[in-house]
Formats: sequence, structure tokens, C-alpha cells
Amino acid sequence: MSADHVHPVNFDPADPGRDPHHAQEHRAHDHEHRAVRLGIGGPVGSGKTALTAALCRALGGSVDLAVVTNDIYTTEDADFLRAAGVLATDRIEAVRTGACPHTAIRDDITANLDAVELLEHRFPGLELVIIESGGDNLTAVFSRGLVDRQVFVVDVAGGDKVPRKGGPGVTTADLLVINKTDLAPHVGADLGVMTADAHRMRGDLPVISQSLVDTPDAPAVADWVRAQLR
Amino acid sequence: MAPLRLVPARSRRPGPVLVHLVSAVTAPLGGDDLELRVRVGPGAALELRGVAATLALPGRHPGRSRTLVHVDLDEGASLAYLPEPTVVTARACHEAVFRARMAEDARLRTREILVLGRVNERSGSLDTTVDVRRNGPVLKQTTRIGTPEVDESPAGLAGRRVLGTELLCWGDDLPEAVSGDWWSLVPLARGGSLTTALADDAVTVERALDAALARHPGSARPSDSISCSIPSDRSHR
Amino acid sequence: MNLAALMLADSRFPGGGHVHSGGLEEAVARRAVTDEPSLRSFLVGRLRTAGALSAVFASAACRGRYAELDAELDARTPSPAQRDASRVQGRGIARAARKAWPSPALAELLGVTPRPHHPVIVGVLVGDPFEAAQVVAYHAVTGPATGAIRLLGLDPFGVNAVLARLAPDIDEVARMAADHADTPPEDLPAPSAPGLDLLAEAHDRHRHHHDRHHSEEVRLFVS
Repeated sequence: MSADHVHPVNFDPADPGRDPHHAQEHRAHDHEHRAVRLGIGGPVGSGKTALTAALCRALGGSVDLAVVTNDIYTTEDADFLRAAGVLATDRIEAVRTGACPHTAIRDDITANLDAVELLEHRFPGLELVIIESGGDNLTAVFSRGLVDRQVFVVDVAGGDKVPRKGGPGVTTADLLVINKTDLAPHVGADLGVMTADAHRMRGDLPVISQSLVDTPDAPAVADWVRAQLR
Repeated sequence: MAPLRLVPARSRRPGPVLVHLVSAVTAPLGGDDLELRVRVGPGAALELRGVAATLALPGRHPGRSRTLVHVDLDEGASLAYLPEPTVVTARACHEAVFRARMAEDARLRTREILVLGRVNERSGSLDTTVDVRRNGPVLKQTTRIGTPEVDESPAGLAGRRVLGTELLCWGDDLPEAVSGDWWSLVPLARGGSLTTALADDAVTVERALDAALARHPGSARPSDSISCSIPSDRSHR
Repeated sequence: MNLAALMLADSRFPGGGHVHSGGLEEAVARRAVTDEPSLRSFLVGRLRTAGALSAVFASAACRGRYAELDAELDARTPSPAQRDASRVQGRGIARAARKAWPSPALAELLGVTPRPHHPVIVGVLVGDPFEAAQVVAYHAVTGPATGAIRLLGLDPFGVNAVLARLAPDIDEVARMAADHADTPPEDLPAPSAPGLDLLAEAHDRHRHHHDRHHSEEVRLFVS
């Protein structure tokens, strides 16, 4: 807030007493001390919100974190996180995407940046902001202008050919998570094929297979996230 | 003969001086140009009320009719300006301006109800402006009636026949807006509140304005002295 | 038209405009807009009221006096939800503009307020009163039109034709606005939009009500 700025008129709109939003400015381009921004994307139903909740449980005790949700059904994800009790209400911001969730994380990231900066302003020591996308298809990725790292989540119930199909999410995400491995026998998915395809499509980029039924706190993904914070 | 007469009420009740505005002739007609200037001195309290609905009518002379009400409110002055509804009859072409210049701690309440035509009559044209300044602009807006594509548009009057607005620069405002489907009571950016209501009849609009008035913290206790600070424009977070 | 004007009018411009429907979503929720004719009615009303107000301030912003314009536009925007929508979009444009079009005028505006009103920052960036007014007048209708395609599944060619037929109206509004470029801020026109004000407040109420109480009323747009 530029309180030192001289304003000749007394109805000065930048007067900090009159508009609480003004104070949240000037952090937008302050990359020195801002939180690490982690995007979690992937198809609808692949378990993004459950993974986000697991990360909040796993990391919440040691990392100062907050979450931005992009739910086309507005606040369902945020409600889930609040109800799960993993995060205080004021650490969750829900972004409305104008019925275009891809646009909001990739082509025009303004609303998400506003939400991230609001959280950074609210919690000055914030270390990690998890931005959960609103449910995508395989072509959706986060803009590098919005996130520092991104996780793409697919699940075995979506079919074991998903990694083979590729798309920017599968091929370029910093981490690919193959979720719901406990369901593989029930849906006839071949985990070995999925993992092999994933590595073939991604080269050296990491792949983690997990089940939140077996390991509710997603320890492997949490370790990967911790490594990104250093 | 003056087209408007100011008739002080004889009551010795405590509170503001009550003056009725009485149209002495059928006014405004096309070509008329009425101007009323009011100054409320330091600490004085005035209530200006209409006694009957104003009918904006076409006159024998073509052209617009105009009404300007200019109010100066000195330190600690208060004014409630409460004319009766204005009915914009077919072929009327009227321009109304309410302008107030307020000292920082003055109080103002003004209500305007516009009716688009008499029953089963389409509306003529009316431009009505509210322009209030108190150490900077408080509210300025011009409502234009009689452009069918705007009157009918959900963005304009949404096809409703009656529009009511009430400006309250009268002590504390609510920190957040309250609203129903076709009414709202909102805090303005630099102090003051505005109620807006749309309905098909004046009674519904008046009820909405009254309900909003009852919820306005500064007006709910009109006898209280008001603080001198301008309430800030707080938002939800 | 200069390139900045074209870019600012482009729906792909990354200024955050795509999450705003300008009251359309609320109008759709009330079934006040259901098809192309009712969309056209909404758009014409919006253009002649809020669009004209924005156009006037975009034109005037080509001449400076930003602090006064900010206060005067606030006084002409009684709905807090609409003030906020305007400032959120203005801030979004500011984020893009700092990188794309740095200038002393932009720095001066952002010194007055980091959350400028949308039409004011458009005026600063475009610089030409008529073109700036065209951009914001077009913006006043194109966002809701896109919203109608997304929310109602209207035929995009039909909606596009509705927009195209508004060209004379948009130009008329822009000409009126440009004629006021040199009008002192306090004397600028102040067209009201009672319907939009009420739709905006109701939208905001439903949006926050949902956040707090799990209402069934879903809102996909910010405004």
C-alpha cells in the first residue's frame, strides 16, 4: 500500500481506510518471498480433491499452506475440504471459472492469481498454495504463470489406456499420479501397463502410483511436494 | 402565480419543521421550467413533503418541462425531501434534477417514486437525476424512462411499471448490501446508502423502501445524533 | 483501431473478464433471458445504461484526472457488487498492462489506485476517446453474450449475429461518450441501470449464500 503517496483530493480512493482490497496489492510480482504454487489437475473424478485433502493432512502440521479450488460446481470442493476438517476455512479460496475451468488455469489465470495473492496477503508466512483445477480433460495443463509445479492425477478406473493417450497433462506435468490403485482388480485395469506407458510417455519425469484407501495421507506424493519446497 | 407553494405545517410537534409542497397549478407542463432552491441552515431540520402525486403532462407548447430542486445543507443541518410519486404520462417530456450540496455532518434523506404512465397508459419520457455531493461525490445517477427497449430490458426497468429509490445520508450505513429479488439496500462507496426497488405497483415499491429504511442503522433511530465519520465501503472479506 | 484497443476487446485477453457475465447469469437464473430475443433485450439495455456509463469514463480517462474519475465513477455505481466487478477486472487488466504497456500514464493511474475501474484503465491504455469508448461499450455486451452461450447453450452463430447487429448502437454510444472526453469529471453523464444493480446484488447474495450455507443456487460466474 503506497501510504506515502501524496493525494491532492480528499476523496482519495487509495485511502487505506476505505477499501480493504487495496492492501493486498504489490505482492503480485514479489517473487522473492512468495509461497510455492502447486497445481493439481486431472480428469473429473480422478481424485484431485481427495489428494489435496491428503496433502493438507500430511503437510499441514509442518508447512504453512492454503488451497485454491476451481470447482465448476462452485464450492463443493472447498466444502469437502472444510468438512474434512483438514484446513481452516480462511485458508481455502474458491474461484469461479465462468463455466470454463480450463481457461481459468491456463489461458486467463487472473482469477486464480487474485485468489493466490489474497491468501498470501492473509497469511504473510505462507509457504505453499495448492491450486486444484476444476476437473479437466487430458489436454488441460496449468499455466507456468500460475504454478511453479504441477501434478496431474489420473485413476485406474478411467481406463488403463489413459497414460498411453498422452496429452500435455500426462506428458509434461512435473509429477503424474496414478490414483485408486486399489480398484485395479475390480475395473480390469492392468497397473503394470499403465505404469510402463506412463514412463514411456514421460521420459525421466516421475510417476507415483497410489491408493488413498491403502495410504490415506499420500506419503509418496507428500514427500515429493516437500522436496519441491526446498 | 407561483407554480409551487410552500405550506408550513402548523403543528407544534417536536422535531423537524414540516413544510408541504403544493402545486398551485397543474405542473409541470411542456415548456415549464420550475426551480426550487432550499437552504437548510446550521443545525436546522426540515422535512419537505409532497401532498399529491406529480403528473408530468404534455403542455400546449411543445418541448421539455424541467424541474430543478437545489438544496444546500449547512453544518449539522438535516433534510428529508419526500415528494409524492411522479407519474410519467404518455407524451410527457420531462427532466427533473435533485441536487444537494451537503456539509460533512449534514443529513439527507430523499425518496423518489416513478410511475410509468397511468393505468393502461404507456409512459412518456422522463430524465431524472440525483446529484449529491458531500466533500466529494456521494451519488450521481440519471434514470431515463420512456425508451421502450431499455424500459423492457432486464438491465433497465425489467418491464416493471414502478421504480423507487431512496438515498439515505443519515448516520451509519450497513457494512454490506442486503437485497431481495427486485430490491436492494446498498452502501455507497463514500458514505450513504441507496435503496432501489422495482415492482408493478407503487404500493409494493413503497413497502420495499419502508422495509429497507427500517433496516438502515442510521435511519432506524432518526432522533439520534449521527457520527461525523463517513462509513467505509467494507466488503465481504 | 490501435492494437491495444483490439487486444483489450479480444475475449482471449488475459484480464480475467471471462469469469464475469455482467448480470446475465442472474437474469438467466430468473428466466428473464432464455433465448436470442430476450438476450438481445438484455444486451441493448445493458449497452444503453452501464455500457454508456463505462464508455463515458473510458473516453474521459484519455485526458487524465484519474483520482476524480475514480471517485465520480464510484458515485455513479451504487451497487457494491458492480463496483467490485469493475475494480476486479480493472486490476486484472493492470496486471497484464504492467508487462505489455508500461507508461507514465499507467503508473500515475496505479499510483492513484491499484484497483482502477475497468473503463478508466482501458481509457488510459487505448488513449483515443472514441476507440476507448468502443472497446468498453463492446465489452459491456460481449461478456454477457458469451455467458449466454455457455449457460443457455444458445447457437454461437445466432448470438454472434445479435452482437453484430448492435454495431450501430455501440458506435452511437461511443460517439456520445467521445463527445464528453473533455467534460469535467463531476459533470459527466450518469446513466443508471436499476435492473442491473438489482441483478448484481442478487447474484452476489446467491454466490456468498452458497459459500456459507450450501444453497442449491449455483453460480458459475463471479458477476
